[in-house]
Amino acid sequence: MLALEDVTVVRDGTTVLSGVSASFQAGRCTAVAGPSGAGKSTLLRLLDRLLEPASGQVLFHGRPLPSYDVLEVRRRVGLVQQAPVVLGVTVLADLRTGRPHLSPDEALALLSRAGLEVDLDRTTADLSGGEAQRLCLARALAVGPEVLLLDEPTSALDALAAQSVERVVRSLVAEGLSAVLVSHDLRQARRLADDVVVLAHGRVVEAGPASESDYLAGAS
Amino acid sequence: MNPAVPSWWGVAASVALVGVTVAVVVREQLGLTREVVLACARAIVQLVAVGALLGVLFDNAGLPGALAWVIAMVVIGGRVAGRRGAGVPGATWIATVAVAVGTATTLGLLVAAQVVDAHPRVLVPVGGMVVSSATRGASVVLLRMAEEAVSGRRQVEARLALGLTGAAAFAPHRRSALRAALVTDIDAVKTVGLISLPGAMTGLLLAGVDPLTAIRYQVVVMWMILGAVAVSTAVAARLAVSRLFDDAERLVTA
Repeated sequence: MLALEDVTVVRDGTTVLSGVSASFQAGRCTAVAGPSGAGKSTLLRLLDRLLEPASGQVLFHGRPLPSYDVLEVRRRVGLVQQAPVVLGVTVLADLRTGRPHLSPDEALALLSRAGLEVDLDRTTADLSGGEAQRLCLARALAVGPEVLLLDEPTSALDALAAQSVERVVRSLVAEGLSAVLVSHDLRQARRLADDVVVLAHGRVVEAGPASESDYLAGAS
Repeated sequence: MNPAVPSWWGVAASVALVGVTVAVVVREQLGLTREVVLACARAIVQLVAVGALLGVLFDNAGLPGALAWVIAMVVIGGRVAGRRGAGVPGATWIATVAVAVGTATTLGLLVAAQVVDAHPRVLVPVGGMVVSSATRGASVVLLRMAEEAVSGRRQVEARLALGLTGAAAFAPHRRSALRAALVTDIDAVKTVGLISLPGAMTGLLLAGVDPLTAIRYQVVVMWMILGAVAVSTAVAARLAVSRLFDDAERLVTA
């Protein structure tokens, strides 16, 4: 569904990704793993067209990403950032950022999908880190994406909050949503991912089913 | 001669106040003596030069000369405000257009409504007030927009990722920058006459004009300043947003 073909990214004169090819299958969770500075977050930003490759191309359903309207791409490919970023004063206002006419019933259904039980008029500043991150997930789901890009979604959370976010990701993938998960936590990648792409120094060093990954096996 | 206008001897006597300043600076060991003396000397040279130039302009250059003077002020104002917007691509160009539109709109309205005369002796000083207000507004808004583009990047990208356009994703940050730019002038309007008498009114009172006549001018000046700031900030903010995002709706900074 999403694929990179021989993609190179250069930022400030430094090659961040070099000749990367990888594919991300529909209905599966693919982990992008690797040490810090390997280019994992850069890869995620390419998939949402927040970055443009210096060479190579990103394909979405077999077509180059720039051949789509960029706003359509971003609605079909949702992104959840590393640390939760709340955008509305209340939970409902936040959920309406990308869908202004969202009804309260639809908003409650989204919160339920994201495993969050809070009042719609609750002030977002009062949410815990885990609640805020699940709100970000619900907000991303509000615009109806086919794929969710998750950039270290639990790295800023405590263990309990991280577990709750993991449960939500697992249930969303079980519903048929595709996910690309950037994680430096190999155990988490093993728990959640069907497939894995391992990056090191901006290159793909391993790709395939998570259950057969030597890199993830090193997490035990 | 109007008794309110000091003679050249009076001006020379007022140099004693520079002496007082220097005495304070020396006594407190602030190391600013040279700077105070140079600043005062420079101010005298600048004002004499401008005064002489304005004399020539009023007597010989007519309306085209006055307009050229205002345009020159707009260009300088644009460069000054543009420097504040480092980080916004094309900040100098944006600031110049914003100051020009703010000035043309405000001054144009005042002249068209015959509130002020289209005479060099009026257009140059009134134009100066309008340009400096528009410059100040554009400076603040561009400075804040550049800061918001850095500090608000994560929020902006979170909105972009939901499929919002760059303009929509940056809208809360644009509004915040505009509020910051306008609030100073709104506060100045609130406190006018209570804390200090404003410049135009002070000038008229010193020139012997009746206070109730002087306030008529001051009211016009206040609305003129507000209008110039509102237009120049709005134009600068809109143009800055258009330059902060590329064709693929990505946030770019200079």
